[in-house]
Amino acid sequence: MVELRGVRHRYDGRLVLDLEQFAVPAGAMLAVVGHNGAGKSTLLRLLALLEAPTEGSVVWDGAPVPRRAPTALRRRVTLVEQRPVLLRGTVLENIGFGLRVRGIGRADAYKRTAEVAEQLGLLSLLERRRTELSDGEVQRVAVARALAVRPDVLLLDEPTSSADRAAAGAMYRALSHERAGRKARPLTICIASHQLEDAYRWADDIRALADGRLSPVTPENLFRVELAPAGTDTMSARVGAIDILVTTDRAGPAVLAVPPGDIFVSREPLSSSARNVLKGRVTRVAAHRGGGVAVTADVGVELIAIVTAEACRELALAPDAPVVFSFKASAVRVF
Amino acid sequence: MEFLREGFRRALALLLSGDAEVFGIALLTLKIAVVATVIACGVGLPLGYLLATRRFWGRRAALTAVNTALAFPTVVVGLLLFGLLSRRGPLGGLGWLYTWQAIVVGDVLLALPIAAALSAAAVQGVDPRVRRTAETLGAGRWLTAWTVAREARFALAAVITAAFGQVVAEIGAAMMLGGNIRGSTRTLTTAVALYTAQGDFGLAVALGLVLIAIALVVNVTLQVLQGKGGG
Repeated sequence: MVELRGVRHRYDGRLVLDLEQFAVPAGAMLAVVGHNGAGKSTLLRLLALLEAPTEGSVVWDGAPVPRRAPTALRRRVTLVEQRPVLLRGTVLENIGFGLRVRGIGRADAYKRTAEVAEQLGLLSLLERRRTELSDGEVQRVAVARALAVRPDVLLLDEPTSSADRAAAGAMYRALSHERAGRKARPLTICIASHQLEDAYRWADDIRALADGRLSPVTPENLFRVELAPAGTDTMSARVGAIDILVTTDRAGPAVLAVPPGDIFVSREPLSSSARNVLKGRVTRVAAHRGGGVAVTADVGVELIAIVTAEACRELALAPDAPVVFSFKASAVRVF
Repeated sequence: MEFLREGFRRALALLLSGDAEVFGIALLTLKIAVVATVIACGVGLPLGYLLATRRFWGRRAALTAVNTALAFPTVVVGLLLFGLLSRRGPLGGLGWLYTWQAIVVGDVLLALPIAAALSAAAVQGVDPRVRRTAETLGAGRWLTAWTVAREARFALAAVITAAFGQVVAEIGAAMMLGGNIRGSTRTLTTAVALYTAQGDFGLAVALGLVLIAIALVVNVTLQVLQGKGGG
């Protein structure tokens, strides 16, 4: 549906996005994960046709989009920013803004506004102004405002960053409801998040961004670090409260990825060749989309390991259980 | 001090009696100021918006030019336009020299940089997310500009006030281009200067009070309009 080809985007000469190809297929539920500053927001702004890439092109339904995208095309995609702003006026006027812009009659606009407001639990706030809302409410109004115009592509930048669990649940239910209600024109959703948990729960395609590039490995356990020599053939990287040893000849700034499948999970430290042995406690155990069980543990930093359901049972891995994560320095990917 | 007191007494008498000359001058001043402000802001506000929001080659130079023009001495503008509008000048054929239209042209040139430079600063002060929000919700260029302008309404009202203040209080260009002709191009400022020079303090003070009253009414009106807009 929408695709970036050979895109290199710069701000004041600084390269912030470098993507050979990034396609968002029609009807997809895509999550883009990565650290703050990884380029997620820039990516969404390019997909939303709000900015033209410095180099390369945005392609929509196979046709390149001109630098100044036509309004008709821009109306097919809507972006909700990470910290959205509400325009002057009430919540009702904000949700109806895009409908008024499209020349939709007052009665129809009100009906649609009330519909999305109800889905997102905003009916009691319709007459309020932006100064009378919490950050989480502003975020929900912004999502409602974007949903109201029934876009083909909905882009959400950290949509639950200010929401509590209930509000986040309501928001995702509203998105599911909207997707289910689309027959002729499927709703494509692309969510940028630094919370993998969200991504795994809702997306059917997850891609990781690191320093403006697509990460070649799975998006779990990605860290931006500063590499310093730690031995004859190893480098050390400080991540949160721990040091991770890696085998690389690189030094200085880098991105580390600890593949979840390469982490040995045990109750006690193992006698092995693993140079990284980290003790901690399990914080979450959940089924992994790709099969097996994802065990999240706080070992000084939050790491995710993938184990079989059998191993999970045998080790009695449950929240708050003590656990040891071990992985070899050579298993850590550096890029 | 006695002559000032006498001046105020005369001024009140003139104003209360509805003196035709005083009100004629006031009306002409108001007409010139309103027309010049409308033209200057009609061109200057969109220009300021473009300077603030579009990235184009020469934008920085254009901003510098507009900001420099803020400090143009009014008599220099008057002199340049005098040359253009005089019978031998390139625009002499218009026959506008010593007419109220010539004063309007001078006032527009003086107020335009104020409208453009200050509105550019006002728009730059608006959160860039407002513009992106309007665009991503499907607004075209004009509606996006209108949405941004609504967010900057207080600052833009101040821009209009400043432009109006410039033209209503201006004397250099009005004197040179209008010629201070009684019943034709005599404005409040040129009249005050003339009657003061002639020693008619009462008339000068009366006209000065009218000038202050006009500025006050315009400011209060804009403040009331601003106050009607909530968050």
